[in-house]
Amino acid sequence: MTSMKATPEPQADRSNAERYLRMYRQMVRIRTFEEQANQLYLTARMPGLTHMYSGEEAVAVGICEALTDTDRITSTHRGHGHCVAKGAEFRSMFCELLGKAEGYCRGKGGSMHIADQSHGNLGANAIVGGSMGIATGSALRAKLFGQDDVTVCFFGDGATAQGLLYEVMNMAALWKLPVIYACENNGYSEYTKTAEIAAGSLTARAEAFGIEAFRVDGQDVLAVNELAERLVARARRGEGPFFIELETYRYHGHHVGDINRDYYRSKEEETLWKTERDPIIRMRAWLVEQGIAAEAEIEAMNAQIRKDAEDAVAYAEAAPYPDPSEVDMHVFTDVLHATRIGA
Amino acid sequence: MPHDVTMPQLGMAQDAGKIVAWLKKPGERVVAGEALFEVETDKATMEVEAQAAGFLTEVRAAEGEDVPVGRVIARISETPQEAASASAAPVVSATGPGSSGPIPEGRAVTMPQLGMAQDTGIVVAWHVAPGDKVAEGDVLFEVETDKATMEVPASAAGYVAALLAGEGEEVPVGETVAILSDRMPDAPMRRTRAEAGGTPLVVQPAAPAPAAPAPAAAPPATAPAIVRPASTVLPASAPQGRILASPKARRLALERGIDMARLVASGVSQPVHARDVEAFIAPASAPASHRLAAGTLRDGFTPFATWAAETAGITDATALLAGFAAASLRAAMPATGPLCIAVTGRGADRVYPDPDDRLGRTDPAASPMLPALILRDLRGSRITAIEMGTDRAPVLMVGGRGDALTVTLVWADGQLLADAALALVDGFAGRLEEPLRHLLL
Amino acid sequence: MREITLSQAVNEALAEEMRRDPSVFILGEDVAEAGTPFKVLSGLVQEFGKDRVIDTPISEPGFMGLAVGAAMTGARPVVDIMFGDFLFLIMDQLCNQAAKTHYMSGGKLNVPLVVRTNLGATRRSAAQHSQSLQALVAHIPGLKVALPSSAYEAKGLLKTAIRDNNPVVIFEDKLMYQDKAPVPEEEYLIPFGQANVKREGRDITLIATSSMVQVAMKAAEALASSGISAEVIDPRTIVPLDEATLLASVKKTSRAIVIDEGHQSYGVTAEIASRLNEKAFYHLDAPVLRMGAMDVPVPFSPVLEDLTVPTPDRVAEAARRLCAGEMIHAA
Repeated sequence: MTSMKATPEPQADRSNAERYLRMYRQMVRIRTFEEQANQLYLTARMPGLTHMYSGEEAVAVGICEALTDTDRITSTHRGHGHCVAKGAEFRSMFCELLGKAEGYCRGKGGSMHIADQSHGNLGANAIVGGSMGIATGSALRAKLFGQDDVTVCFFGDGATAQGLLYEVMNMAALWKLPVIYACENNGYSEYTKTAEIAAGSLTARAEAFGIEAFRVDGQDVLAVNELAERLVARARRGEGPFFIELETYRYHGHHVGDINRDYYRSKEEETLWKTERDPIIRMRAWLVEQGIAAEAEIEAMNAQIRKDAEDAVAYAEAAPYPDPSEVDMHVFTDVLHATRIGA
Repeated sequence: MPHDVTMPQLGMAQDAGKIVAWLKKPGERVVAGEALFEVETDKATMEVEAQAAGFLTEVRAAEGEDVPVGRVIARISETPQEAASASAAPVVSATGPGSSGPIPEGRAVTMPQLGMAQDTGIVVAWHVAPGDKVAEGDVLFEVETDKATMEVPASAAGYVAALLAGEGEEVPVGETVAILSDRMPDAPMRRTRAEAGGTPLVVQPAAPAPAAPAPAAAPPATAPAIVRPASTVLPASAPQGRILASPKARRLALERGIDMARLVASGVSQPVHARDVEAFIAPASAPASHRLAAGTLRDGFTPFATWAAETAGITDATALLAGFAAASLRAAMPATGPLCIAVTGRGADRVYPDPDDRLGRTDPAASPMLPALILRDLRGSRITAIEMGTDRAPVLMVGGRGDALTVTLVWADGQLLADAALALVDGFAGRLEEPLRHLLL
Repeated sequence: MREITLSQAVNEALAEEMRRDPSVFILGEDVAEAGTPFKVLSGLVQEFGKDRVIDTPISEPGFMGLAVGAAMTGARPVVDIMFGDFLFLIMDQLCNQAAKTHYMSGGKLNVPLVVRTNLGATRRSAAQHSQSLQALVAHIPGLKVALPSSAYEAKGLLKTAIRDNNPVVIFEDKLMYQDKAPVPEEEYLIPFGQANVKREGRDITLIATSSMVQVAMKAAEALASSGISAEVIDPRTIVPLDEATLLASVKKTSRAIVIDEGHQSYGVTAEIASRLNEKAFYHLDAPVLRMGAMDVPVPFSPVLEDLTVPTPDRVAEAARRLCAGEMIHAA
């Protein structure tokens, strides 16, 4: 694995200082959130499983910072990063992870189905590739209604093995839909190397449908953001769809219980990515070097984010569960309690 | 602020981990991310990293010990000193509210988590007693879980300082059931959970209850709209065994107090349906009634009753009349046993038991009885002819004014045989005409 | 009253709803110029344009997924699934996504889409084009299921389905597209969860869905000449199911047969029969019978295919034996 410094770092545009700081902040928020979630699992305080996004922050942040609240995204089982990057806040997220009533989905979705409709997040999906159709359908709706919002479909390299991807890319290309397919290639499809499950090139797949495809270093938030800004603008003008392959890495296992990883991934490889290609370390260094923020400032921001996260966890742990009567609510929009029909 | 070091959840199906080795000593400095201890899980031995920086203190689990996931096994503190209250063998918190007597200090032996779905275990038997010396690996007690009985060994050598649960008691996972001390205890003790005031759990059968067959939100079945009769007639098991009948048929039979076995015995074929039950209870038309009448030439009874009153002190003339009726009935049906006559009319409404026994001297019955004959005394009334339906017993009516009396008998099919009816009427009329005949007949 | 075919009724329903609400659009294979192989949608693309009557590639999972996403973000798609058998292809998008999104989001996201598909055998189309799979989707919480039995029901139920904010699967009997029935000119909707008593009777209740309603009606006529008075009820929707009407009828007659063209085992008939058992037990004078398609893949040969579906004769025979108190299944 060669260490990449793909493009020379751009010079900071002083007027964009706020934006750069916000990107950094969002990445730290995601990393901090995941650390807390991981702890919740290890200390047996969280029901079920979850999938850590740590290491991939620049992908979600770089792209979502190019989107507005009315733009939509669809997410994956590894969805906390997208959720935070699209504007979600800690308390409601932790509540959802713990199955509490104040969660984004009233505790009914959990980590793998977390959705935040108010910020355009159409939801994480537990079916690999399950949300590709939904993202493309959202773009279809935008085109049919003459609306100018763009939909980004996040999915992993493993999901390129799903037939649905090719069906929806075909239709997106046929009808020139405003959708951007963002493939988070972290090198592994669960416990198997990507090279062993995906033949040929990922970008070539999109190009076969006549869709413009791009590759970018997923650990470089500025590069990701710059590309995303360009493509989102073009998609809004009706020039879509587009495909981006982002080279990235997940630090944790496939899910939080995947701790014995040596058999499919070496510790050396993990350490390399964590030290030499960490998106947060890299952005931090750049912010300081460009004079946008001082170390102490950044340190304080990080500490505050950590505290926010800890407070949010405490809040969520103390928050109430949904009332048992909610178990059969929200099955249908027009039936209050589904299991009492025709009783 | 000290950071708790817990036994981590390392695999989906893992409930406990065995500490293979501590990689740091108590009091040693620890860096965040440094390997702190090694854990053996189902699959492999793994290193667990420290989640904070500081000094390792309050180590509460030893190498070789199985620790349930989530249990705090040490702390990473700001200084190397142990907390003042902590000793090499950490203090055990009191187990139940209101524990009786002081609980010795020592290492806690807890009810282990032995299965994923197990929340409690039953202490089947203790293999040690208070004061015993135990070596590492010695069996302390046997636990019964959903699946099997398992032995729980001592994780280190020591002395049994306290036993805190009784044999047969159900103990939640994680609760302390015994205390082992390093040195011979001064006052080894034992008690049960129940004595400690902990909610005593009834020893339950090992198998967990299967999932309830009805979903929790199932609506209650609408109550069947039947009224159960006070005496529930349950379908008796027929000689051949179970009777086959539709639910509707059974309900109808129950409502109407019909014994299914009787139904089937009467020839109804199985499976019994609703129409079979409906047909069975429809009553046949009212039983046929019969009537017989007789007349007397003169009223011999009234002067006889007067004479009986003057001479023999027989004041209840109605008893006399009932006696004649009873005698006539007995003469007509010699096999008759004890009987009683109900008399109505002329202000009387009484039942006389065996009034022919001590003629004229029988007291009316205090409580209601089923009469063999109902006597309607209509003498002196203006009623000359009666057409009344049958009653629960044959009805004998005496009417008439002045010299002649009339006797009418009405009875239903099955109440009297024809010959008996004739004899009854003739005999009764005869006694009324000539009371002395009573002596002969 | 005028009479129109089931095909015309479906066409009218769609046209009316699309005129009324611009967010309604159709997608599926050959729905535009071709109007589908059954010609049900002919003329719609001419009126509403290719943006609202969209021909898709042969990508059922794909365009079903698109419909879910469009519905989640404000549109009201009507998906045409050419044969009911192809439901298997869209199960993930329909049952894992569409059915569960409202629930999984705690009530925050709606999926107001309609899947229009069909059922019915005896068309000599063999095993993969003849299935009646309503039980499959009725089993999934979050989906409503409608089963029109004539042109009248088809129009009223489809209009209701399009206006419903939940995902609805509506099955048309592909053999009935040319069958006429009286259909009012004025607008009408048939609410979900409202069964229709098609024929009143005293001795036995015949509950039949979709293609089986006519079978039950013919059986009832035959029974009348045997002196047996059969009541025929069409539930019209199985989710939601109008239990009250079914129960009232069975309490009156004390006997029932449930007839559906899904397979005999593990199907719609089993569910309805079970509910009658639970809630009308003490009124039953005979076991509730199920009559469905034989538990075999649909055979091609006409002689064999015709053996596999309930017919008026078989229904009438079963009814006669129940009324006679015969133990049809030896205890």
